[in-house]
Parts: sequence; structure tokens; C-alpha cells
Amino acid sequence: MPQSDTLISVRDVELSFGPKIIQQNVSFDLKRGSIFAVMGGSGCGKSTLLKSMIGLLPPTTGQILVGGEDYWAQNEHRRTQINHRFGVLFQSGALWSSMTVGENVALPLEMFTTQPPDVVRKLVEVKLGLVGMEQAIDLYPSEISGGMRKRAGLARAIALDPDILFFDEPSAGLDPITSARLDDLILTLRDGLGATIVIVSHELPSLFAIADDGIFLDARTHRPIAHGSPRTLRDNSSIPEVMAFMNRSSTIPTTDETKADRHV
Amino acid sequence: MRTKDLITDLWNAGPNALLIVGVVNFLIGAILAFVGLVELRRFAAEIYVTNLVGIACAREISAIMTAIIMAGRTGGAYAARISTMLGNEEIDALKVFGIPISGYILLPAILSLSLMMPLLYLYGTLIGIFGGFVVSMSMMDVSPMGYWMSTVNGVELREFAFGFVKAFFFGSFIALAACRVGLMAGRSAADVGIAATRAVVIGIVGIIAMDAVFAVMANALGI
Repeated sequence: MPQSDTLISVRDVELSFGPKIIQQNVSFDLKRGSIFAVMGGSGCGKSTLLKSMIGLLPPTTGQILVGGEDYWAQNEHRRTQINHRFGVLFQSGALWSSMTVGENVALPLEMFTTQPPDVVRKLVEVKLGLVGMEQAIDLYPSEISGGMRKRAGLARAIALDPDILFFDEPSAGLDPITSARLDDLILTLRDGLGATIVIVSHELPSLFAIADDGIFLDARTHRPIAHGSPRTLRDNSSIPEVMAFMNRSSTIPTTDETKADRHV
Repeated sequence: MRTKDLITDLWNAGPNALLIVGVVNFLIGAILAFVGLVELRRFAAEIYVTNLVGIACAREISAIMTAIIMAGRTGGAYAARISTMLGNEEIDALKVFGIPISGYILLPAILSLSLMMPLLYLYGTLIGIFGGFVVSMSMMDVSPMGYWMSTVNGVELREFAFGFVKAFFFGSFIALAACRVGLMAGRSAADVGIAATRAVVIGIVGIIAMDAVFAVMANALGI
């Protein structure tokens, strides 16, 4: 039976903290093998949406379907099983500080596979080698730089060979060269592992370079206001907020013409 | 639970605390002996200072003082550590992988403090009695052996057993409260400070409240 082209389907999701609505009417499909960007200004709810997709924050309403299964309708055990399809790179790397880089990558392998210790060690070396971090295997997170922490976090994220990778602000705090290398690494992972990737970011050069689909969340209306790849949105969107964001403009055009063009 | 984490926590909650627990209990024993001797001398009952220091340390003071030290030292550290992990998204990373927080973060901490507190209590009691002995030797006319024999005769083993059991519950309470406060904390640097403070305050107040309950129960049971 052929696999469905849609890996994750977000349907009419509303996210809120108590009475405060963060985003509503969020719907999109994540195509297998795509690099999907969640875009928007600071505080619009990009990371909150990501959290609801990886099991950290249940949506107030709506569904998140992973491989056709309603993720949040499952019990905790099943959600954990589904999570093994996910690899997550957190904004700060989120390496476990009491463990070495190698132990960070090894822990999921020790927990969820039956590989003997010497094989786990080999796998850890391979994963760290993929991100160019094999020399830091015995170092603690406090002993490495921010960029190295992100790469080590990425090695941990791919430890269980996930088919969906989530990146929360992967380029934040990195210099342009390291950021570009990380972009290359993301493309390599997509092509090498066949992974589908979700990136939460507002780093435009990165988004233009690697993302082929996306959604733009608006902080003012608390709704998505545009869908499409970052390049398409940059070149073709007539929505003032999207135009301003994609072109790094400090002012949002408010002409009647652009208002009339607004669409979701 | 990783053995390495348990050993680290055991070391931090036990051997690393020996100096501060020893110093405080020594001084408490010395103060009790000094105050006791001054008062008991008026009734020519100085020798009973051995009972005063021994029973007070074994039954109440060492358990409470050791627990207060550990609430401030280790309880605060647990809350700060867990809330920092929360802020660094380390807890989120565990959740996403489906690695149980209870086993990997909480259990080593709770086990360590619960197991080490009774041992620290015993150590603190002996050091407290030694503090009383040092002061008594300089203030009253009794031989070291006489002081020791009077202590052995005056302090029953059940006083130690009572303090030992209390210390276990105090240690468990401090660790549980600190872990809960840490997990409930916010994610900013200020929240780490707030969590540490809250863990210490809850720990100290809880220990004293629990001690009151233990005292009532002991009275009811005739211990």
C-alpha cells in the first residue's frame, strides 16, 4: 500500500494559556520529505505551536494527526511511541547538563533499543560524526560552545533515526558561518535520512535557503495569515505583515490596496 | 535511574555535608551543655547534663538541626537544579523522548536524601554529644569515662531509634518538597532563585511541623 503523502496534519488547532489565546484556526499539512517553516514575529506563538506538535502542550481545540492518528487523543504510552518518530532540536540545545555529550546521545539508545553497550558507543560516534562533533564525545555541555551544543543536540535528536525532525530556532545565537553550516546539515539530514523537517524560525536567510513550504503566524490577530514557501511569500505575498517581515521592513504598509489583497 | 547520578547525589547529600553538619551539631551540643551546667549547678545536679545533652540531641535537636541544614543546603540545591533544567528545556527534552522524569531526575535525589539523612543524624548526634562533653570537661569535675558512662546510662537506645526514624521522614520530605517546587517553577533566572528560596522555607517549616506531629504521636504511644 503506498504511503500517504501527508505525514502530519494540523486541523483547526487553537492554542491558549488559560484565557489568553496564542493562535487559533491553525491548519496545515506537512508533506513527507518537505522542510516546513513556521514563521512569524517574536511572540506570535511559533514555539507554542511546535510544543503542541511534539507532545509538550495539548491544543485547546483541534487535532494534530500524525500518520493519520489523532496524537492528542492517544494515551500517554501511545504518544510516547509516536514520539519515537520525532527528533527535536531545542532552541538552546537542551543537552542534559549532568551528562557528557556522548552520554546525551547514548541515553535514548540505551532506553529504547536493545543494543549492547559497545554497539551503542559506535552508534553515538556515528551520530556525532554526522554533525562533526566526534571530538567532543567526552565533554560536558558546559565545556562546549553554543554552536557545538546545537550540533550535539542535533546528534541526540537523530539518535533514534526519527522520520520527523523539529527544529526550534536552529540559527538563533549562531554566527552566519555556523548558521549556514547548520542549514547545510539540515539539508543533508533531509536528503540522507529521508526525514521530514519542521523549522520554527525568523531567520530569513535560513528560511529562504532551505524551506520549501511554510505558514506565517500573525501575533496581532492570533491566526495564520499566509501559507507557502518563504521564497514564494517574499516574492508574491501582498499581505502587509508578511511583506514587511519577509523584506525586513520596519514599517507595515497599510494601504487600502494591500488590505484588500489579504487572504489566508 | 543511572547509577552514576545516584552516586553523585548520595555523595552530595552525605559525605559532602559532614563538615557543616558536624560543626553545627558540635556547637549545639556545646551550647546545651553550657546552659544546662549553669542551671543544674544551682541544684547540685551537674552530672545530669549528660542526660540533658544526650537525650536532647538524640531525640530532637540533632534530627531537627541536621534536617534544617539539609533543607537549606541540599533541598535548595535540588529545587535550583530542577528549575534550571526546566529553564534550559532539559526536562522538555526528557518528556519528548518519553524518558520518565521520576526515574531520571527525582528518584536519585529523593533516595539519596532519604538514605543519607538518618546516617547524618547519627553522626550529628554523636558530634553533638561530643560537643557537650568538651564543654563539660572544662566546666565540671568529672572524668571522661564518668561522663561517657553517665551518657550511656541516661540515654536509651529508643531515643536514637526515634530520631533515626524521624530523620528518614525529614529527608524524604525535604527531597520531595524540593523536587516538586523545582518542577513547578517558572523558566527564568529569577524563578530559579524563587524556587530555591521556596524549597528551603517549605522544608524548614515542614520539618518543624512534622516534628510536632512526631512529638504528639510519641506521647500518645508512650515512646
